[in-house]
Amino acid sequence: MHEANNPTSSSCPARFPEELLSGHLDRELTQQEAQRVRLHLEDCGHCRSLYQELADLREAAMNTEFPVPSDEQWDELPRSTGSRFLRGAGWLLTVVWLVLVAGYTVWQWWTSPATLFERLMVFSGASGVLFLFLSILIDRLRSVGTDRYGRVLR
Amino acid sequence: MSLMPSDTSTTAVPDAILVQHARSGRREAMEELALRCRQPAYRLALQLLGDPDDAFDVAQDSLLRFFGALQRFDTERPIKPFLLAIVRNRARDLMRRRRLRRHDSLDAAAEAGRPDPVDPAADPAAEAMDRELKRRVWRALGALSSAQREILVLRDYQDLSYEEIAQVLGVPLGTVMSRLHRARKALKAQIEAQGHA
Repeated sequence: MHEANNPTSSSCPARFPEELLSGHLDRELTQQEAQRVRLHLEDCGHCRSLYQELADLREAAMNTEFPVPSDEQWDELPRSTGSRFLRGAGWLLTVVWLVLVAGYTVWQWWTSPATLFERLMVFSGASGVLFLFLSILIDRLRSVGTDRYGRVLR
Repeated sequence: MSLMPSDTSTTAVPDAILVQHARSGRREAMEELALRCRQPAYRLALQLLGDPDDAFDVAQDSLLRFFGALQRFDTERPIKPFLLAIVRNRARDLMRRRRLRRHDSLDAAAEAGRPDPVDPAADPAAEAMDRELKRRVWRALGALSSAQREILVLRDYQDLSYEEIAQVLGVPLGTVMSRLHRARKALKAQIEAQGHA
């Protein structure tokens, strides 16, 4: 089952397969293997000393605590300063561009030769579409801000 | 809406059931899975990389990949080895890319570590020795090869069974004990060398 039966890998004077000591520490041995280790430890000072040292190291490792991020940290999007700046600049330029294009379009349309009825028809239709788009955009933006696992979803 | 008709809380729901619900797009299940997975993912990343910021990035990236691979996950198997294998691979990729100076970053992480709870009845001298041993083990871990560090972290810090370690590392079960023992002896030798330095 294990690579434990190779006596050449051991520095034990009795050529005991030392890796069984780790298996015993971790309670991963069969009953027979564990009994073999216990019997050997009674007779071998080298392995008894090694076993105790490894047990101490294992205990120290298992009881070491590590700082973990808070829930708030997990909820934050991992953005660098550079990406935040570029995103902000990108949004600003996009909004300015949209305002300029929309203003120019409205001005062109208003100064074109059309009747009041035609203008109202186009204006109300375009406004309706714009309002619908804005309502969807607002909802999406709100969900992006509050959806904690949006980044986790496929 | 509860995940199971008889449950009022998701904490009692087994991982496999959560995965099935998450696969069908149930947000509550995904949220609970993420809560269960994120701290173990972060701890392993921190123990492998040593740097808290890198560990956080790797943990987040690993969670994304974990959820992305959920459709392919075999629900008969435990989640933890599957998740930790992803974290281990992401941490390896990062180390390869950055050639991290792990020893330095481990020191930084150790300094940032939360102090152990103080038992008022405990012997202060014994407490100090205990803290010193933990610090020396942690420092020595950083001087080992990545393969030795991985197997030690998975066993002694993450408390995985040999079978789970074999799954995470993708090695036969029979090789885990011997590799682990060699790693433990290397750790012991490193600590002794540091003591003489």
